Amino acid sequence: MENIEYLFAGFAVFWGGLFVYLLTLQARLRSLHREIERLEERLAESEGKPAPRSRTVGNASSAASGSAEPSAPPANS
Amino acid sequence: MSALATLLARVYEWRWVVLPPVAGVAMMAMIVGALVAAPREIIEGEVQRLMYLHVPSAVTMYAAFGFTAFASVMFLWKRDMRWDAAARGSAVVGVFLCGMVLATGAIWGKPIWGVYWSWDARLTTTLILFLIYSAYLLARSVAGPLDEQAARFAAIFAIIGVADIPIIQMSVRWWRTLHPQPIVFQTNPALPGEMLIVLLIGFIAIFALATWLISLQTDTERAAQRVHALRAEVDHREIA
Repeated sequence: MENIEYLFAGFAVFWGGLFVYLLTLQARLRSLHREIERLEERLAESEGKPAPRSRTVGNASSAASGSAEPSAPPANS
Repeated sequence: MSALATLLARVYEWRWVVLPPVAGVAMMAMIVGALVAAPREIIEGEVQRLMYLHVPSAVTMYAAFGFTAFASVMFLWKRDMRWDAAARGSAVVGVFLCGMVLATGAIWGKPIWGVYWSWDARLTTTLILFLIYSAYLLARSVAGPLDEQAARFAAIFAIIGVADIPIIQMSVRWWRTLHPQPIVFQTNPALPGEMLIVLLIGFIAIFALATWLISLQTDTERAAQRVHALRAEVDHREIA
């Protein structure tokens, strides 16, 4: 069991890092979704219409890229 | 081209169904394989088992930064901000993996070399890659998510930055380094079959995890773009 403490330190750093990364990513995604809902409600109020149901992230690109319809997202590696 | 785009869109829609279970199962198999099934290396001892995490993370990091460069080329060509979001998403995951490669390498280095860090060619070029893409992310985050000019400059930076990857890969051949020579695809000396199988499972696990993380991060970047677009629209209407 030579150097086993270094082995566990290496695995702990990797899993700890991944856990912290996922937590921060989830928190950011959640706050962005809340912000999207809030802004859509404000937009609907300014138009005098009832607030639309929250859009999914997949539609985010449509507004961002200026297209009206959600289109195919790019692939990942 | 449209058939390819449709196929990619179909694959992309299945990411939540396929990637987390594949990554989870492969990760469990890799941990069991690395800690229990793989034989103990005689000279390095138990710490050698970090290779099953370190090597797949390094190769997947290359793929993530390679995808950042590809998405940057696509952004410059198509001028579609979705490619910018994809480039940022994969760069974040690449930087995360690069950090993990540097950290696990340093932890392995302490008992084997006697130091956590050495200004060795492989280590230094990997640190440079980490700094290049950290600078890319920093520069991109300073500008707004829909700032097309900043996205163009960042894309050029990301494409130039990927040139460091072949330098990292060849550094152990070009310069005399402390870092072990490549052994995975060598026949003499060859890696024992049990080690090779566990390493292959590690590759599948880390690659699936990284692909899932890139899609998650890209969704986040696209959500940030949408928030920015909505804010602009709300401001425009309220002023009007």
